[in-house]
Amino acid sequence: MNRTWTIIALLAVVFAYGCATKKGFEKPGFAFGCPIGDAKVSSMDDLVKVKVLSEGKRTTIVATEMRCTMTGDLLKIDVNLNNDSSKVKRVAYKFRWIDREGMRAWEEEVWKPLLMYENSNIAVSGVAPTNKAVDFRLILLSQE
Amino acid sequence: MIDLNRTRRLVLLPLLAAVALAAGCAQEQTRYGDERSIETVTNQFSSTDLQMIAESMTRSMLQSPAIVSGNLPIVTVQEVKNKTSEYIDTRAVTDSIRSELQKSGKVRFAVDAAAMQQQVEEVERQQGEYYDKDETAEKGRMVGAQYRMEGNIISIVKQAKDIRDVYYKFNLQLWNVRNGLLEWSDEKEIRKTTTKG
Repeated sequence: MNRTWTIIALLAVVFAYGCATKKGFEKPGFAFGCPIGDAKVSSMDDLVKVKVLSEGKRTTIVATEMRCTMTGDLLKIDVNLNNDSSKVKRVAYKFRWIDREGMRAWEEEVWKPLLMYENSNIAVSGVAPTNKAVDFRLILLSQE
Repeated sequence: MIDLNRTRRLVLLPLLAAVALAAGCAQEQTRYGDERSIETVTNQFSSTDLQMIAESMTRSMLQSPAIVSGNLPIVTVQEVKNKTSEYIDTRAVTDSIRSELQKSGKVRFAVDAAAMQQQVEEVERQQGEYYDKDETAEKGRMVGAQYRMEGNIISIVKQAKDIRDVYYKFNLQLWNVRNGLLEWSDEKEIRKTTTKG
């Protein structure tokens, strides 16, 4: 009887540990691999809200997913954009690179035009131009 | 008589106002614009195309093993062949790529074939009697490139009655000078369509 309880207790500990490691895999100040600083990010939606900005005319295209990784010593970002309307949409995007002090780490990128078919997703990638860029914003601009 | 003058005035006044308005509209206006905005004045090769190609190629090349693992590799820029039907200053494209790479601090550039004449002339000039021998550039001290960068740009143009479609493909390659191996290559494709009406 005692052995059974011990096994159950051990299994519970292992299970709890497993959950804890899954939740706690991120470094502090990062979410989904992306730098977030002091921002409170507990979901993908929160991350997208923090990182995606709109300039000029607002677009209905939305970022639904975002992941970051390091390629060498450069920050690399993959963003999934979604057009859930029944019309072809045109949008332009660019990344803005920010250094450790919160200043611009690089000059403004060129706007990159994008055509999105109706009810479609498209993945866009960005790589930091310098290792001084430790943070970023994705900026969207409607081309309608 | 009075009525005739009045009628004339009534006709002339709106006419003069219309002429003045048209002259006002025709006046030229010059403003500074955003040099990074999307330019779609025509569907020929544009500043946006040049900037997109330079940015895309630079970011891709910065991830290549030759640059990631290298100790500030030395690169020389060779020709980008223009195989399109229009005039494109491909030197402007490679200059932009070179500037971005240089600013990244991960690549050094050796003097290229186009600038070699000026380099040789300057070294020879410094051999003159007016220069301090301890400070001047000596012959035989230039560093050769480990990699050479070259590429090409092609276009496919299709035109029908009310539509003109242009497709550009820019290809850039990084070759190892010592062993002739292709270390990195990437492409950037651009499609632009103009419709009338």
